[in-house]
Amino acid sequence: MSTPAAAVAAGVLPGRVWLYSNYHCNLTCTYCLTESGPGVQRRELTAERMLETARQAAELGFTALGVTGGEPFLVPDMPKTLAGLGAILPTVGLTNGTLFTGRRLAAVEVLAGTDVALQISLDSAVPAVNDEARGPDNFAKVVAAIPALIERGITVRIATTGESDNPDDLARLCELHRGLGVPDSDHVVRPVISRGRAVTADLGVDATVDDLPAELTITADGAFWSPFGPTVINGRLDTDLLLTRTTDPLRVPAQTLLGLVEGRPAGGDTTLNIR
Amino acid sequence: MLLDAAAAPLTARPYYQNGDPGPLVAALATVPELLEVSLPFLTTVLGASSLDARTKEIVIVRTSALLHCVYCVNSHSVVALDSGLTAAEVVALRDEPRAALGGEREDALLGWVDAVAGGNGPVADAVAARFGRSFADHEVVELTLLVGATMMLNRFCTALELPTSPAVIDRLTAAGLR
Ligand code: SF4
Repeated sequence: MSTPAAAVAAGVLPGRVWLYSNYHCNLTCTYCLTESGPGVQRRELTAERMLETARQAAELGFTALGVTGGEPFLVPDMPKTLAGLGAILPTVGLTNGTLFTGRRLAAVEVLAGTDVALQISLDSAVPAVNDEARGPDNFAKVVAAIPALIERGITVRIATTGESDNPDDLARLCELHRGLGVPDSDHVVRPVISRGRAVTADLGVDATVDDLPAELTITADGAFWSPFGPTVINGRLDTDLLLTRTTDPLRVPAQTLLGLVEGRPAGGDTTLNIR
Repeated sequence: MLLDAAAAPLTARPYYQNGDPGPLVAALATVPELLEVSLPFLTTVLGASSLDARTKEIVIVRTSALLHCVYCVNSHSVVALDSGLTAAEVVALRDEPRAALGGEREDALLGWVDAVAGGNGPVADAVAARFGRSFADHEVVELTLLVGATMMLNRFCTALELPTSPAVIDRLTAAGLR
C-alpha cells in the first residue's frame, strides 16, 4: 500500500479532508443528509480537534480542508477556527448563509484575504422554490448575505442542491449568482442524495460508495468515506460508510481509506457528479 | 449495537457476504478497525491449527462453562460435537464439578484449564507438571493463549448479552444438550 501523500499526489486519493464541526442547524431543510435542526444532538468537534486534525492532514500530504455540518456558524468562534484552518491548508466552509448579520457578519471579517472560501447554499432563483426546501425567508437572507460577504473581501461560492428539469431555471440562477458577484467557476450543482431526511421525504437519488469520491471525513463519531457518509436517519447515525472510530492519529483512517481505494476497481467514481 | 448488512461499515462488508455473520462480528463491526484485527486473531487462536480440533474444543467449552458464558457454551457445544466429542463428553465439560474425560492427556489438560480459567495467581506445581508431561512447550503456550482468548470472548459475549442463533439452539435440542 502506498502512503496517503503519494496517493493524493497521484490523484488516487482526493486531497480534501472534511470536518463535521457540528450537527445542529437553525434550518430544517427537506433534503438534509444529517437530519439537522435546532434540537438535534450536536456531535461537535472542538476547535482544537479540528486544528489538530488539519495539522495532521497537512503532514500526511492532504492538500485541502472542508468544514461542514449542521450549520458551522452556530458554533461560537467558528470564524477564528476557519481562519486557523485556512492558515494550515486551503479551506472551504459550508454554510447556509442565513446568519451573517450584525455581530456574526463583523466576526466573519477575519476571513477576508485568507485561504478560506465560504460555500453558501442557494437552490433556485425563484424565492418560493428555494424556500420550499430550505425554509421561509431563506432566499432573501442568502441574497443579502452574499454581497455583504464579498464586500468584506471574503470569497463566496454557491452550491445548488437538486437539479431542475427546466434548463431555464439553472440559467436564471446563474444570472442571479453572477449579479451577486459569484462567477460561474464558483458555482457547483449537485443532486439531492437519498440519505438522511431525504429518505424520509422520498427525495433524491441513491448513491453507493462507488458514486462518492473517497474524501476522508472526520466527525465526533469517527471517520467516514465521503462527507455524504456520516448521515443521520431517525436520529441514528449511518455506519455503512464508516471507516474507523479512531480519528487521532489521522493516519489510522487515512490508511484504511487508502486500502479501500486501492482495492477498488478503477472507474465508477463520480457517476453522480457528486463534488 | 449489532449491525446488520445494510449498516455494515466498508471494511466489515466482506464478513456479511455469505449472509448473517453472527452477533460477534455484528457487534465488532461497530468499531471496524477492531473487527479487522480482533477477528483474524480470534479465528487464528480458536480455529484450525497444529492442535487437533477436539483438544481445542475441550478447552473452549470448559473455559466458557467456568466463566458462565451462555453464548460461547452454546456455540462451542455444537462445534465440539462437530469435532468428535460425544454429547456425554460435552455435558461432562459443562458440569460443575466436571467429570473426568477418562484419558491422562485430556484430564491433564482439563486440570490446566481449570487452574488458568477458574483460579487466581500461579498454577499449582503439580498441575503444571502433569500438563507439561503430556504437551510440548509450544502446545502449552498455544493452549494457554486459547484459554485466555476464550476468557476474553466469554466476558465480551456475556456482558453484551450476545444472542445464541436459532440454528445453534436447534442443534443443541437435537443432541439433547438444551
Ligand atoms: S441542509 Fe444544511 S442548512 Fe439545511 S438543515 Fe441540513 S445542515 Fe441545515
